[in-house]
Formats: sequence, C-alpha cells, structure tokens
Amino acid sequence: MNLYDIIFYLFAIITIVSATFVVFTKNIVYAAYNLLLTLFGIAGLYVLLGADFIGIVQLIIYVGGILILILFGVMLTNKITDVPIKSGVLQVIPASIGVGMLAGILILIVTNISWRNMELTVPESTIGSLGMLLMNEYILIFELLGMLLLIALIGAANIARK
Amino acid sequence: MTFTVHDLISLSPVLLIGVGILATLIIEMLVKESEKILGWFTFVLLLSVAYLSLILLDHTALVFEDKFLTGGRVNIFFFLFSFGAAVVSLLSMEYIKKAGIHFGEYYIMLLSSVLGMMLISGATDFIMIFIGLEQMSVCFYVLAGFNRRNERSLEAALKYFLLGSFATGFLVFGLGLIYGAVGSLSITEIVIGYETLKTSPLFLTGTLLFIIGFSFKIAAVPFHMWVPDVYQGAPTSVTALMSTTGKAAAFSALIIIFSPIIQAAYPSFFTPVISVLAVLSMLYGSIVAISQNDLKRMLAYSSIAHAGYMLIGLAAWNEKGVSGVIFYLVAYTFMNLAAFGLISLIEKRDLRGTEFSDYKGLGFKQPVLAGLMALTMFALSGIPPFAGFFGKYYVFLSAIEAGMTWLAIVGVISSVISVYFYLRLIVVMYFDNSDEIVMVTPSTSAMLGIMISVLLIIIMGVAPGSIINLINSTF
Amino acid sequence: MIPIEHYLFLSSFMFVTGVVGVITRRNAIVVFMSIELMLNSANLVFVTFSSYLGNVTGQLVVFFVMAVAAAEAAVGLAIIIAIFRNKLTVNLDEINILKW
Repeated sequence: MNLYDIIFYLFAIITIVSATFVVFTKNIVYAAYNLLLTLFGIAGLYVLLGADFIGIVQLIIYVGGILILILFGVMLTNKITDVPIKSGVLQVIPASIGVGMLAGILILIVTNISWRNMELTVPESTIGSLGMLLMNEYILIFELLGMLLLIALIGAANIARK
Repeated sequence: MTFTVHDLISLSPVLLIGVGILATLIIEMLVKESEKILGWFTFVLLLSVAYLSLILLDHTALVFEDKFLTGGRVNIFFFLFSFGAAVVSLLSMEYIKKAGIHFGEYYIMLLSSVLGMMLISGATDFIMIFIGLEQMSVCFYVLAGFNRRNERSLEAALKYFLLGSFATGFLVFGLGLIYGAVGSLSITEIVIGYETLKTSPLFLTGTLLFIIGFSFKIAAVPFHMWVPDVYQGAPTSVTALMSTTGKAAAFSALIIIFSPIIQAAYPSFFTPVISVLAVLSMLYGSIVAISQNDLKRMLAYSSIAHAGYMLIGLAAWNEKGVSGVIFYLVAYTFMNLAAFGLISLIEKRDLRGTEFSDYKGLGFKQPVLAGLMALTMFALSGIPPFAGFFGKYYVFLSAIEAGMTWLAIVGVISSVISVYFYLRLIVVMYFDNSDEIVMVTPSTSAMLGIMISVLLIIIMGVAPGSIINLINSTF
Repeated sequence: MIPIEHYLFLSSFMFVTGVVGVITRRNAIVVFMSIELMLNSANLVFVTFSSYLGNVTGQLVVFFVMAVAAAEAAVGLAIIIAIFRNKLTVNLDEINILKW
C-alpha cells in the first residue's frame, strides 16, 4: 500500500462517514458542517484523480458558495441551538423497495463489468485543455451558463424580497 | 470555429430571443412602470421569433462545432414554444395584475424559460439538453413561486423545486454512467457505437436513470407526485406555460435522443419501459381525475394522462409515432392554453374560484366563456372534429402499426374514462344553477389569447392532414 | 493503484445515501443537502471516468453541473426563506395546504 492508496482511503472514509451524518443526524447544523467535510473529501478525491482545476473549483463554488448559502438558509430558518428535526418517514415500503433496487443495480454493474482496460492516466494539468474546450467547442454552453446564473440571480432576488 | 451567414440566419430565432431577454432587462431597469409595456413587448418578440422559425423551416444547419442543430423538426418546436409562450403572455397581462404580481421580472422569466426550451430542442449533445432543461426549470421554479405572499404559490414552488432537483440528480448520475460507457456525451457518438452499447449494462443503467429523471419532467406515473400540487398552487398563467410548452420541451428531448438510437436498432430495450410508463400514466391520470373537485387539479391529472398518450407514440417508435407525438403536443398545447386561459379569467382576486362549484350556471351568466370552455373540454376529451381527437388518432395508429395493439386499446379505454370528467364540467356549467353572480369582464388581451388557441384547435381538427404533412416533411 | 471500482462504489454509496435522505427527511434544507450529495456523487462519477478514460470532457461537464447547482441553490434557498417568512416552518409535513 503506497501513499496514494492511503490518502485515497483517508478521503474516502471522510466522505462516507460525513455523508452518512448529513443524512442521518438529528441536528441540522451538524448536517451542514458534515456536508462541508463531504465536499472537502470529494475535492481531495478530485485532486487524487488528477483533476486539479475541478478540485479547486469544488472548493470555491461548493464550499465557498453553495455551502455558505445553505448555512445562511439554516440560520435564517432555525434557532441555532440544536433544533431536533423530525425524520418522519413517508411511504416506507415503496421507498425502501425503490432504494434497494437502485442500490442493487448500482452494485451489480460496478462489480460485474470487467474494467481491466481502464487504467488511471493522470494528465499533467487539465486547466489548459479545459480552457481550450470551453472557449471553442463548448462556447455556446459557457455563454448560456452566464445567462442561467443571471436569471437565477434575478429570480432569487425577486422571490426572497419582502 | 467559423461562422457563415447561413449559420447566423438559421440561428436567428435563438439569437433574437437572447437579445430580447437582455432588452427586457434594460427596459425594466430604465423605464418607469415598465411592466405596462413589457407584456406587449414580450408578445411581439415571441411572435416574431415564431414567425422567424416558420420561415426558416428548411434552413438546416449545424452550428457551434456541431453542438446545435436548427431547421426542420427543431424549428417546429421553436415555433411551438414561442407561439405558445406568446399566447401565455397575452393571458398573463391582466391575470398578473389581478393576482398582484405585476412585475417586469415575470416577463424576463417567461422569455428565459423559452430560451431554455429552444436549447433543449436543438441539442445534439446531452450537455446541451441538461443546460437547457435547467434553464427552463430554474425559470419555472421562480415563476411557480412568483406570488410570494401567497402560501399556496410558495408551497408549489418548494415542492416543484425539491422534486425537480431530485430528478436532476438522477439525470446527472445517469449521464455520468452514459459518459463512462461511451466516453462522450454526443448523441452521434452513441449512435455510432450503439451496436456494442446496447448490451453494455453501464449504458443501459445510465439511460434508465436518465429516463427516470425525464419522467419527472414530463409528469409520467410513478414520477408524477409533484404535478397536481404544483399545477394547482402556481399562478394560473404559469401553470398554462409549464403544462404545455414545458412538457413539449421535455418530449422534444426524448425525441432527439431516441430517434437516431432507435433508427439504428429496433426493437429497443427501452420499449417495454416506455410502454409501462405510458399505461400507468394514462390509467392513473384518467381515474384519479374523476374524483377531483378543483378544476386546475383535474387538469393536472388529465395532463398526466395526456403524457401517457404521447408516450404511446414514443413506445411504438416509428415515423408515424414521432410525427403523431409532435402533432399531439401542438394540439395539447393549445387546448390547455385555452382551458387555463378561461380558468384564469374566472378565477377571483384571492386566487380562489377554481372549484367545480364556482362554475355552476356559468352557461347562462357567461354564455361566451362557457361556450368556449365547453368546446375546449370536448377537444381535450378527444371528441371529433377537434384537435384532440386527431392527436390521439395518429398516436394510436402508430402503435397499431408497430404491432402494439394492446397499448392502443388501453389508450382508448382510458380516453373513454376521461370523457366522464371533462363532460362533468359541461354538465355543471349548463345544468346546475346558482344564485351567486359571477361577473367577469374579460380583457381584450386575454380574449385574444383564448380566441387564437380555440381557432387553432378547430383548424387542427378540420384540416389535420396539412399539419401532419408539414411535420412529416421535416424528417 | 486504486481500481476504478473503488471510486464508483464510493459515488454509488453517496448517491444512494442522498436518495435515502430525500425520501426520509422532512426538513426542506436537509432534503436540499441530500440533493447536493446526489449531484456530488454524479460529479465524482464524471471525474472518475474522465481520468480513467483519459478524456477531459467529463471534467468540463462537472464544471457545468457545479454552475447549475449554484443557480439552483440560489433559487431554492430563496424559496425556502420566503416560505419560512410566511409559515415560520420549513418542515415539509407542516407545509401541506395542498396535499403532498
């Protein structure tokens, strides 16, 4: 087991444990902080996979942006001292059947496919090639994302104002 | 990347609406009481987009390094979206004043959702479909909750948002698996490799998750639970938009994805999946609609059933099926626009007055409105000679041709069931009486929108052949 | 070297956890966080395949998905805050004038 493997398992454990906490903890503030750990763990995995740019963007957008928004949401809609959240379960039987089937299918495909010709090819840095793709092939989508964010901004401001 | 004049011309409907959105933003910012002119501005803009899409029908082009397709079938969808939204903007003008949400942002959201729909229908790539879908959905979330002082509107927005993003999660995960199997998200690549892909469990699971995500968007059973609440709670003009053009946009994506794949190999693995969705949606929608007392809620269940009929066309999967689905979408759009337009006229200031009991005796007090409503209900239930009948006819015919007669039979049974609840409204309007006096003075703009829709329903019912030929000519 | 299965198992686990969260939790913000988990697991699938296939497009899609997630988060939290202002709760069980 080399260093890469150890770091992978470290990040994987952080991600799994904190993701479980996000969903099952009774305290919404803990859930939000565990989400921080999950997002951080995933950023680490991105870096391990050689996606340096995406790893940084994950930290900036998710941890720096979306998580802060969520925390604001938590604080504006709850008293900060531990608020127990109801975890009443809706439609137990169909839900568990659905989730069980989903998990089963995913496990089956991951275990049954022979991945032997898949080797991790770590490129040096992806920023250059990503930039080329963004500015050439995917320029239309890139521009449209700007539009989408603008519209989301206007819409959010319109709904949230008094 | 090089552009030719031809490319720019064929892209002009999309460019025009993009420029229009920015112009709306600027007008909203600079002009005082801009909401008064923005309604008509939006209407004219959408109408010119619709006109442009029609005259550019045979202007096929692949632009942005093969990332976007225009011309032919795509332009028919462009026309449907922009013309449908133009009618919605007519219906909205008075309604949003009545509901107290008379803001310029309403029209910005409306235009941007149309831009999103157009992107979906022209996509050649899953990424573009995803971005277009999100653009449309984000606008719909905002529009559903636009009446932000009304609890029901906000609740509809919350439910729509949570279930919509849940569906997005499935969609993106499915796309991830498809990407893993194919190594690309371009639809042409998938078609090239389809022979090996159709046995790849990774690809099949990915596509299944993708279909689940899309079933939320087109409101097919068992992924329909948001539909009644959202359609009932959202402002009526918004419901008119999302139940018609929004659904058409989601269907256009399914048509884009499956048409090349299935041309490459038939019968497909997905035919049984889609047939099951179709049967469940038709029967569930028609049966549950019977017990509804709210007109908007009833139309929501009926829209689930209509999604089922359209899915028959996709399950049959032949050219007749596809053109039948497109015809059905156009017919359904204008039938629903007329119905929701009339509901929005009769609705009261506090957004109540959409129950069946509010329509008692309408036939005597408001003969014109009641007559139009009766005509729309006849069309929706599929009674000839209106548009709804021919929509169903083409779709069922394609199923029989594909050897799936049982699917057509289920469709006919479900249509017969659905006649009950559509005609129930007519009975309430003409045979019940109440002393309550509803005086509605319909505004010119809303009446214009309703008249356009009704006229189109009749034209499509009288001369369905020319329209189906137009659709067929774009293959 | 870590085999690709490990990454895929990790993301499948997160995806299923997210789905469980959406179905079982009744607080709108927790449901929203579960949806973020689902989106992140999908992103992890994209980056994994992108690295193992040696193809950058996957990372580009992740970039797009993040932007979309940010837009959704802004709109969604605005809706949640507006509903809290009206009803003083974000518990989905109590938000049911319309039947769920």
